[in-house]
Amino acid sequence: MNFFRGVMGGQAAGPQPSGAETIQKLCDRVASSTLLEDRRDAVRALKSLSKKYRMEVGTQAMDHLINILQTDRSDSEILGYALDTLYNIICNDEEEEQDESEDAVTPLPVSGKHKNVSVPDENAQKQADDMGAHFTDKFIQDPEHVTLLLTLLEEFDFHVRWPGVKLLTALLKNQGPQVQGIILVSPMGVSRLMDLLADSREVIRNDGLLLLQQLTKGNAAIQKIVAFENAFERLLDIITEEGSSDGGIVVEDCLLLLLNLLKNNSSNQNFFKEGSYIQRMKPWFEVGDDNSGWSAQKVTNLHLMLQLVRVMVSPVNSPGATASCQKSMYLCGLLQQLCTILMATGVPADILTETINTVSEVIRGSQVNQDYFASVNAPSNPPRPAIVVLLMSMVNERQPFVLRCAVLYCFQCFLYKNQKGQGEIVATLLPSTIDANSISAGQLLCGGLFSADSLSNWCAAVALAHALQDNLTQKEQLLRVQLATSMGNPPVSLLQQCTNILSQGDKIVRRGSKVQTRVGLLMLLCTWISNCPIAVTHFLHNQENVPFLTAQISENLGEDERLVQGLCALLLGICIYYNDNSLENYTKEKLKQLIEKRIGKENFVEKLVFVAKHELYSRAAQKPQPVFPSPEQMLFDHEFTKLVKELEGVITKAVHKSSEEEKKEEEVKKTLEQHDNIVTQYKELIREQDAQIQELKEKVSSMSSQNEQLQTTVTQQLSQIQQHKDQYNILKLKLGKDNQSQSNSQGDGSQVNGLQTEELTQLREEVDQLRKQHTLLQTQLGDKDALINTLSSEAAQTAEGSAGASDNTELLKELEALRSQVQSQSAEINQLKTERQELLRRAEAASSDTVPSSDSSLDAAKMAELESRLAAQTAETEKLKEETKRLSESRAGLEQQLASATSTVAILQTEKAKLQTEVQESKKEQDDLLMLLADQDQKIHSLKQRLKNLGETVEDEDDLDAKDQTDDDEEEEEEEEDED
Amino acid sequence: MAYAYLFKYIIIGDTGVGKSCLLLQFTDKRFQPVHDLTIGVEFGARMITIDGKQIKLQIWDTAGQESFRSITRSYYRGAAGALLVYDITRRDTFNHLTTWLEDARQHSNSNMVIMLIGNKSDLESRREVKKEEGEAFAREHGLIFMETSAKTASNVEEAFINTAKEIYEKIQEGVFDINNEANGIKIGPQHPTTNSTLPGSQGGQQAGGGCC
Repeated sequence: MNFFRGVMGGQAAGPQPSGAETIQKLCDRVASSTLLEDRRDAVRALKSLSKKYRMEVGTQAMDHLINILQTDRSDSEILGYALDTLYNIICNDEEEEQDESEDAVTPLPVSGKHKNVSVPDENAQKQADDMGAHFTDKFIQDPEHVTLLLTLLEEFDFHVRWPGVKLLTALLKNQGPQVQGIILVSPMGVSRLMDLLADSREVIRNDGLLLLQQLTKGNAAIQKIVAFENAFERLLDIITEEGSSDGGIVVEDCLLLLLNLLKNNSSNQNFFKEGSYIQRMKPWFEVGDDNSGWSAQKVTNLHLMLQLVRVMVSPVNSPGATASCQKSMYLCGLLQQLCTILMATGVPADILTETINTVSEVIRGSQVNQDYFASVNAPSNPPRPAIVVLLMSMVNERQPFVLRCAVLYCFQCFLYKNQKGQGEIVATLLPSTIDANSISAGQLLCGGLFSADSLSNWCAAVALAHALQDNLTQKEQLLRVQLATSMGNPPVSLLQQCTNILSQGDKIVRRGSKVQTRVGLLMLLCTWISNCPIAVTHFLHNQENVPFLTAQISENLGEDERLVQGLCALLLGICIYYNDNSLENYTKEKLKQLIEKRIGKENFVEKLVFVAKHELYSRAAQKPQPVFPSPEQMLFDHEFTKLVKELEGVITKAVHKSSEEEKKEEEVKKTLEQHDNIVTQYKELIREQDAQIQELKEKVSSMSSQNEQLQTTVTQQLSQIQQHKDQYNILKLKLGKDNQSQSNSQGDGSQVNGLQTEELTQLREEVDQLRKQHTLLQTQLGDKDALINTLSSEAAQTAEGSAGASDNTELLKELEALRSQVQSQSAEINQLKTERQELLRRAEAASSDTVPSSDSSLDAAKMAELESRLAAQTAETEKLKEETKRLSESRAGLEQQLASATSTVAILQTEKAKLQTEVQESKKEQDDLLMLLADQDQKIHSLKQRLKNLGETVEDEDDLDAKDQTDDDEEEEEEEEDED
Repeated sequence: MAYAYLFKYIIIGDTGVGKSCLLLQFTDKRFQPVHDLTIGVEFGARMITIDGKQIKLQIWDTAGQESFRSITRSYYRGAAGALLVYDITRRDTFNHLTTWLEDARQHSNSNMVIMLIGNKSDLESRREVKKEEGEAFAREHGLIFMETSAKTASNVEEAFINTAKEIYEKIQEGVFDINNEANGIKIGPQHPTTNSTLPGSQGGQQAGGGCC
């Protein structure tokens, strides 16, 4: 241990071993010592030497140290020393030196650690950087080493995890892309590092943040994985826990990491938006009006927070994504919160500037947000619109340059794709709507346009140009604006005033650069009159303007003026291109001749093209926000660069073109129109054909459905046919019974032998015939049966021998009636008889009892009456007797009839017997026929088989036939029984 | 925008089987016949309703190319559901399913719900993999199965929603530890949680009042 002390002390007298030698010995010890303690001591010694002898330790000990990491994993102490040593040789940050004690690793305050302390000797720093890079290369040569380091980070022990985190951070700082690549492909690599954010030890969590910052730098794939591992949630939680903008450097680190994750990463931005994290940004900006103080840290934090908002709505993002973020920023109140800061007092200028820029991008191109912004009022008395307050700053030369730029940007964004806003701004200048009592945006802009400050001139000109951008109505409206000039001179139009300043520019004393003012005004004029023939006419109407422009362009001026010349050429070019030839002196043709004569075409184009070649032009073309390192470089506006790009080509062409060419062009245009017509014709044709195709498609579909229907009917019909065939078979069998009387059935039977289908049909017809005959016979039979029945019943009645009985009910009834009549009459006769006897007795009594003559006369009358009655009755009786006689005669007739009928019955019965025998016979014949048919069927079958073999498709119905046949046989038997 | 649950999904499978198109159809309801190769991973999200509950789906659509495999593996662990997609008109994409499944099983949490999807069902005439084969594979490996068409949108909704239903059921059964976000499941902000600060929901409330 003495030895080590000597080394560590570094000042022992006598022959002292050089650093390299000592390190070599220590390395040997690390490599060969079997005792863990020895190795540990040696590594600790290396660690203490690693700063002073960084080069030597790095060169000689690195392999041994890595070896320790692999083999001594169980001892966290030695791992810690090894990692510390590696960190010392790889890390380039010198400041750690004084902080670190050798034996105890005390957690350090995180603040400022990642900030490079300026190193006095730049050369030394560069050497150190080189060394760091070299050793990093050496370490990561084998990707396994990085993987090893990642697994060591799973070690919970503080002494391992913390230096592990620092070492990996240093490696990433030195060789970012390579180390990122290794971590990316090692399974769970990024996930493990994300777990550091959940470490309960703040030091590790905070250093984990620094590690993740390095890890996510410029690597979209890693950024996405980190986001996937819930980074947004965790970081936002940490920010909230740490007090948002009032928080310390940890908040700043979180914000930096968030920026890394979101900047230029549309997928993560989408995730951030979809995860509703925009809503969580709003409380960040609740800074209030308390001027309690804006610490440097708070300013930094807020700056980053504003940047984060801007990242989400940057004009370079896809329009859709930006629009949806802008919408949710309005809906969650973030925009409103930002506008509060805008109007608050005591906000540091740089925060205010950045807030203005942020508001600009939150409202840019979003109608709802622009409308809201227009409605924001400053809390002044009386309240003024925020736009007016901001414009006041823009044209106020005492305000910081960046703030003025920010206001211009804000104004531009307010008017971007906002026709309504453009109209409102222009309206404040129009005579009808001017409100003399309050300051309006228009007034401020005019004031800026004609102020003595070139920057105000430029900003006001550009702002006004944005109020006219792509808006023909406002371009025409602005032509109406007249300006009152001093000393009762007639009012001058705004357009003319602009050109006046342009031409008299040299005479006015200004602050700033004359070029800036003139470029600003020229940009305004170009924007104003381009695509607006009326404005062109207005411009040309003043006789001085064209000579001024031609003079400017043709003059041979210095470098500074060349830009102005170019813009003058552009303005003149616009006068040609958008000329409607309404002014006789300044038609397209005349202007072109003028150019040729005074300037020369080549010269003109050369001057024109110079604009786009300007360095500041290309800078302005890059992005919408006006950002300039100094006010002098503020010459071009982003939207104007687009206009130049658009017009440069067409003006060059227009100037080069001769009148003949123009005519040709007209012709070409005409033919093009014709072509267009043809194209439209064809389009119509195509449309028609499309419709036709559609129609046909529908037809096809309906037809196919019909087809389906038909197929189903076909199958139905097939089955019906089958049924019919079956029926036919049944009939065929039935036929056999009934065709005995048919003489030609035998002939048919012999004909069937032919086996022709025609014959079959013939057969069928004949069968039908036979059936008819059969039914006829059956009806005849039925009739006869009925007759027999009646006759037999009659016979029965006659056998009974009842007198009154009749063969018909009428006769019977008559008989009955007569009989009852006879009875009643005989009863009457009896009555009369008794009456007469009584009368006789009375008469006798009267004659004997000497009844007066009157009495006898009465009796005689009575007697006469009675005798006449009796006579009548006797006559009646006689009549009845005769009738009875007649009836018995008719009965005799009937009896005779009956006898004859009974004889007919006998005849018929014999006839029936004969018929029955005939039926028997025909049945026999039928059987024979059946046999014949069976034979024929077999023959048909064999023939079909043969046909099949020959390749003909034949409907296979044999099975069915066979089955049906058996069924039919059974039925037939039953029927026979019925008939019997 | 409040949700009861948030599920994280990944979409995996060979290159060109239509993963990005499935996502586009699900999130934007449109079909892009020509689609660039996905680089690494792309994100998409949509809200659905299951059992009357709003569920937010966050979906990471991964690149199918072999060269991105190591990157896309990083997404397995944190996902609650995976759509494993093959192309019914390309048998090789079906043949590679085993590899994909092994990979997924190895790197994901064991409860991850995997839905097997045979995409491009509209191209029946070019079919190389029978539906029955897909069904059999799914049965064998305990996956849910569906045939979809990102072009006609057939079954696309169902594929995403049925996966969510399965996850939802697993939550009801208590299989998932919903408090561990590493499982790819998060409880929505309106649920009463032990966490006292909920800036997200606060912001939402104030948003309502902030409109004027």
